[in-house]
Amino acid sequence: MEELEQWKEQLSHFYNLVMDRLREVPPDQLYAAAAIAIFTTLLLLSLRLFKRAKSNTVVLTGLSGSGKTVIFYQLRDGSTHQGTVTSMEPNEDTFILHSEKTGKGKIKPVHVVDVPGHSRLRPKLDEYLPQAAGIVFVVDALDFLPNCRSASEYLYDLLTKGSVVKKKIPVLILCNKTDKVTAHTKEFIRRQIEKEIDKLRASRSAISAADIANEFSLGIPGEPFSFTQCSNKVTTADASGLTGEISQLEEFIREHVKQ
Amino acid sequence: MLEQLLIFTRGGLILWTCKELANALKGSPIDTLIRSCLLEERSGAASYNYDAPGASYTLKWTFHNELGIVFVAVYQRILHLLYVEDLLAMVKREFSQIYDPKRTAYPDFDETFRQLKMEALARVEDLKRSNLNPVAGNAKKQVQGNNKLGFEGGKKKKSGSVAKNGGGTDGDDANGRKMENGHANGSFVTKDANLSSVVNGRENGSPNVGAFDVQKLQKLRAKGGGKKTDTVAKASKAEPNKKVTKKNRVWDDTATKETKLDFTDNAGEDGDRNIDFVAADQGESMMDKEEIVSSESEEEEEQEDAGKNRKPHAKSKGWFSSMFQSLAGKANLEKSDLEPALKALKDRLMTKNVAEEIVEKLCESVAASLEGKKLASFTRISSTVQAAMEEALVRILTPRRSIDILRDVHAAKEQRKPYVVVFVGVNGVGKSTNLAKVAYWLLQHNVSVMMAACDTFRSGAVEQLRTHARRLQIPIFEKGYEKDPAVVAKEAIQEASRNGSDVVLVDTAGRMQDNEPLMRALSKLIYLNNPDLVLFVGEALVGNDAVDQLSKFNQKLADLSASANPRLIDGILLTKFDTVDDKVGAALSMVYISGAPVMFVGCGQSYTDLKKLNVKSIVKTLLK
Repeated sequence: MEELEQWKEQLSHFYNLVMDRLREVPPDQLYAAAAIAIFTTLLLLSLRLFKRAKSNTVVLTGLSGSGKTVIFYQLRDGSTHQGTVTSMEPNEDTFILHSEKTGKGKIKPVHVVDVPGHSRLRPKLDEYLPQAAGIVFVVDALDFLPNCRSASEYLYDLLTKGSVVKKKIPVLILCNKTDKVTAHTKEFIRRQIEKEIDKLRASRSAISAADIANEFSLGIPGEPFSFTQCSNKVTTADASGLTGEISQLEEFIREHVKQ
Repeated sequence: MLEQLLIFTRGGLILWTCKELANALKGSPIDTLIRSCLLEERSGAASYNYDAPGASYTLKWTFHNELGIVFVAVYQRILHLLYVEDLLAMVKREFSQIYDPKRTAYPDFDETFRQLKMEALARVEDLKRSNLNPVAGNAKKQVQGNNKLGFEGGKKKKSGSVAKNGGGTDGDDANGRKMENGHANGSFVTKDANLSSVVNGRENGSPNVGAFDVQKLQKLRAKGGGKKTDTVAKASKAEPNKKVTKKNRVWDDTATKETKLDFTDNAGEDGDRNIDFVAADQGESMMDKEEIVSSESEEEEEQEDAGKNRKPHAKSKGWFSSMFQSLAGKANLEKSDLEPALKALKDRLMTKNVAEEIVEKLCESVAASLEGKKLASFTRISSTVQAAMEEALVRILTPRRSIDILRDVHAAKEQRKPYVVVFVGVNGVGKSTNLAKVAYWLLQHNVSVMMAACDTFRSGAVEQLRTHARRLQIPIFEKGYEKDPAVVAKEAIQEASRNGSDVVLVDTAGRMQDNEPLMRALSKLIYLNNPDLVLFVGEALVGNDAVDQLSKFNQKLADLSASANPRLIDGILLTKFDTVDDKVGAALSMVYISGAPVMFVGCGQSYTDLKKLNVKSIVKTLLK
């Protein structure tokens, strides 16, 4: 206890010294120092807000095994290197699209995030959605029908998230692996997903008071669901990650990432 | 020989594969390893076995957590290659030196790898050769000493796994240590000798000596720990052997009437006379109410936690040094640094009723994922460990597949088949009560339900379900007592498809997981009826037994099933959740050991007391 008393005395002594020093300083300097401090904080805050308004992030998502990591590396390097395995962590990088590297003029780099599709890692998607300027939902066009239900559920959850609906983030449904002969067409996939989401809507909103699993509901009740009913723009495209056929995807990116 | 050695990033890009061993791997062992082991927080295990048609592989791995790279070696299961761990450690060291985040191809590593492999093989040859000679006599003594150590229990598992890691990282010192062990035969009791003698025993046990080999050693060591469970199993098995039928006790001299006691027929009349009232609509089931977790309270609690964390730290001696380290940012995290923080977390989790085995495995997995990582500045080790553990817990508790039962019911409805749910579990966990709660919830969502009373053993089970059915006004299919449950279930499903019920809820009798004939009967029921959902009902009050229950149930269902792909437990229903205030660990143990998601949580005894599992609040409660 004595030690505490000593510490207290020393502290109060120190405090008095500081106060005396402060009083010695002319008030103008004090005001100037305070003004500079406030100004810098305001500047930093405004810079952060300013940055957020113009986002250049594109989020790649979809089921596990649909080819997101392959597409990520195609976008960045133009090749798939030695292959990929199931991702355990997101891949993110800011780069100029590989096909644009030879282009002229100043091209703004794009920030692409490849979120793992494994269901245990789904919560990671929520970290990147707020800054997304566009979402690419990659679907395996080759092995589509067995996974149709899970893909549609994932897409439904995505389209009913608060951040996606409020900011009207455009979504591109990318049908991957179209280089294979037995891959389905994007129109077929679009129709199947619309049908599945229609059924999901019915089961998820059986009693409106009881349905709080999703923050928003999709489409117009009573009519069969179609992507045109979404408030944000949903389009479809073809791609093939392995052969490098990603031109439609690059168009989407250039269109929606603000230059 | 090694089948393949892969180096890939955690983000999924393969950086390097060995070009010499260009055998294509059958199946997809790496993807399966990632999905079933590394993402399931079992990365503390020593190896992983993979079976594909035509091949069976064993996989071993190691992480470089700082750079985010994974090294995996694949080899045939029948070969017991001893140099794999050493090789992985050496590869890790060499590769980290040439790794560059911008590069994606490393062709120059082929040469380095060839050299490393030859070095590792040479080392193993040396060990084998030198162990053949004078140490042969000592080998027997040492292995017996290891048996003794194995039987000590307790630390056995930890020493086993630490030994394997120790063998991997101390590959350089193996030669030097072997010399020490040649002289230090007597010192088995000290912990260091524990480690080194176990390592040596492992290296000694190569098949050429003939006397012992590694498999036997491991089996013997495992038996030491399994001894306890074996005795329990034996005790329970002894009971069913006594098939002495009970004789009626005679109190007076009148002749005994050997009538068969069967109360099925009378029950119907009695039931009608009871005053039965329909359960009035008791409001929404809690399944449909959202759990309100306010963010403000979360922040306050976090500050409180931080305060609480700081206080015990202030009392410990290493407080100043840990503060200094947190400011400076230590170079690399070692296992010894993680030990105290992990131990504190371990104790905390065990006080929250998580099974001990699960906590051990989880801590190993978290340690494996943090080892070698660079501490960010201004963070303490304990907060890093806590964040990693929190992420791991969220990952485990997040369901792997969709738990939207209503969607499945609708899908089954379209195919005009009833959706069959079977409730299984040990005695007294609350199957019948929660069956009624699930029926109530389904009724609220306009699904027609039918109950099937396949508990034909316990007196009063059928009446209990009949009362619930009357209150909820749903049909019930019953055949009384002493009937074969599998047949009753089959007939119930046929009846349901006839009268157009959407869902059939099948109640079974409670049974202990060690009871062989009852488990056989259960697997017969499941095989015969092929239900859509096998729901394991477990109570939240269970402690370490949860691990045993679930693993034995799954094992018996797999072993005793007559079909090629047996049905295992698909989901868990956690009951009596309101009786545990914050000791919610049973949920974690059950999910970890079985991989099945928690679909419902029963939190009371009335119809509305059925909730969904809120992952974030459980994780918060576990780590509080």
